[in-house]
Amino acid sequence: MPSSVPAERPATAKASPPRSRGLSLLVSELRVLFGRRRTWALLLALAAIPVLIAVAVKVSSAVPPGRGPAFLDRITQNGLFVAFTAILVSVPLFMPLAVGVVAGDTIAGEANLGTLRYLLVAPAGRVRLLLVKYAGALAFCIAAPLAVGLAGAAIGAALFPVGPVTLLSGGVVQPGEAVLRIVLIAAYLAVSLAGLSAIGLFLSTMTVVPVGAMAATVVVSVVSQVLDQLPQLEWLHPWLFSHYWLGFGDMLRQPVVWDSFLDNALLQAGYVAVFGALAYGRFVTKDILS
Amino acid sequence: MWLRWLPAVAAPVAIASGALIGSLPAGASNPLPAKTPAEVLVLAAGHQVRTFSGTVEQSAELGLPELPAAGKPSGSAPGPASAGSVASVMELLSGKHTARIYLDGEDNARVQVMDQLAERDMVRHGKDVWLYSSKDNTAAHLSLPAHTQDPAHAPDPALPTNPQGAHGMHTPAELAQQFLSKVGPTTAVTVGPDVSVAGRTAYNLLIEPRTDATLVGKVAIAVDGATGMPLSVRVTARGADTPAFSSGFTSFSLDAPNPSVFAFTPPPGSTVKELPVPDKPGHPATAGDPAKDHDPANAHGPGDPGDARENTDVTGTGWETVVGTSRGSAAAAESMLQDPLLSQATVAVPGGRLLSTALLNVLVTDDGRIFAGMVPPERLQAAAAAAR
Repeated sequence: MPSSVPAERPATAKASPPRSRGLSLLVSELRVLFGRRRTWALLLALAAIPVLIAVAVKVSSAVPPGRGPAFLDRITQNGLFVAFTAILVSVPLFMPLAVGVVAGDTIAGEANLGTLRYLLVAPAGRVRLLLVKYAGALAFCIAAPLAVGLAGAAIGAALFPVGPVTLLSGGVVQPGEAVLRIVLIAAYLAVSLAGLSAIGLFLSTMTVVPVGAMAATVVVSVVSQVLDQLPQLEWLHPWLFSHYWLGFGDMLRQPVVWDSFLDNALLQAGYVAVFGALAYGRFVTKDILS
Repeated sequence: MWLRWLPAVAAPVAIASGALIGSLPAGASNPLPAKTPAEVLVLAAGHQVRTFSGTVEQSAELGLPELPAAGKPSGSAPGPASAGSVASVMELLSGKHTARIYLDGEDNARVQVMDQLAERDMVRHGKDVWLYSSKDNTAAHLSLPAHTQDPAHAPDPALPTNPQGAHGMHTPAELAQQFLSKVGPTTAVTVGPDVSVAGRTAYNLLIEPRTDATLVGKVAIAVDGATGMPLSVRVTARGADTPAFSSGFTSFSLDAPNPSVFAFTPPPGSTVKELPVPDKPGHPATAGDPAKDHDPANAHGPGDPGDARENTDVTGTGWETVVGTSRGSAAAAESMLQDPLLSQATVAVPGGRLLSTALLNVLVTDDGRIFAGMVPPERLQAAAAAAR
């Protein structure tokens, strides 16, 4: 599939009302995003993490309890734990990396290809384009954790026995509900990555070099996580967008704790508002030369 | 042109002002009827709440060394999560912890200490007490002897008659009881403006010891206006401005919890350990910490000698109380000091080793006796010398 996709972007319908114009722009954006080889490569790389973990556990000796990342020692008893381990391993770096690539590419990628002008010539409007680009990045934020979780459940079920899953509280749920919890965790992470996507979108409006925006986004996520580890900056921690990333464990309690989900959603909404507004300010005042 | 940047300025401003408003000390909206300090003390002492559920947040800056939280994926050292260990207790006394507490009557209790990606559970259902740690997937079971069901011996129902009670966190009500029992002639008690805790309006009871012989400077207890149950406790050390220890509900409901939370069967694949039945409430290993005595009927302070704990002795009263163990527990103290964590946390002083925190000092003498109290170290040494 060619990556010079803008050519296949349909010219937005001439006389349709603004809403459906925005909708068709969104549909075409999603089609472009998920038609790209790079997007699939990112998702496949993420899905390879659980496969790697499952194979490594399969061929090695049993992991003593309490060692390594959480849940690792449970995998041999129950394959579904591959999904939880893989999600835990990919949250600090791999997922922000993938999201940084997609979000950093949103505007800068079009500018780099020289297609941004044409997108704006069509009666789309800069605000609408920005919104559609952000929606595309969000769609990837939903797809990425789902890819890790579902690939983990699948490979775990293929290599190990599957049975009732022990939650953190010591209770047990049936495999069906366990898969539901995996989807719940994916939703939690999709929300968690929304703030980083907004930062990536803003950085993407700053430059015409997509790699720069991607790298900057990933660096920001790493810096945020490093700051979150410093006890001297405790007052800052609740304001860091990565602060609740590992809080997805609350979805594995019985009963489920929703506090961290809500706190996280509120925090991410704040980041989306601030960096969305910054991206708007930058994008609508910018001279589009490419 | 510059108008386009307006949202970029407005959004942080709106968030900052929202956060400021949210962080203002929550004043009570419906003022409670005015009460004298004595009336609030009576209200707190007479609370009959035996059924509730809620979330407790505890924050301690006692000056203990930072310990790896049980749930941290990087924590490779085994042990901190194992049920009831010394390290587990010390870990709970440092940093921030959140726990959900469910209580239904005398016989049903559940405490869930929620660590990151891990959880420590204490479940009591009837005579069965289960301790569970998700980190190493271990469970411990304890069958309570029948006599603890005897109402005459019934301890605070919030503490499920369990020598390893430290495995779970204590409710603010239990902690408040510790300080309320010390109120006496050497204590100034006042009532501050009403406060709001977990959405409930509460009396703000301020307790200030009028003696230099304690480490405690001020204790603020929020006493629920409707039920009299203490909802939060904040303890400030003498000479400090910010609380060294605080524990309070962030959510609270008086509805009966769903009975399913009290049901526990060890999950498949877990290691189950049967704990010996405690025949004495005052287990030597827990006597070292007066904060673990929760007998409200015990008016004489922690470690009342009449309380079937022959091997502890108490000197001083009220805030100056020092609890000590006699020679019988030398082996226990020895094994305690073998723990690398504890030996690292203690410092050598004349006559033994001292574990010093902002609010509590513990002295382990060279001959294996343990003395503890919310008092300066010199008092512990004096008590140790006197008891010899």
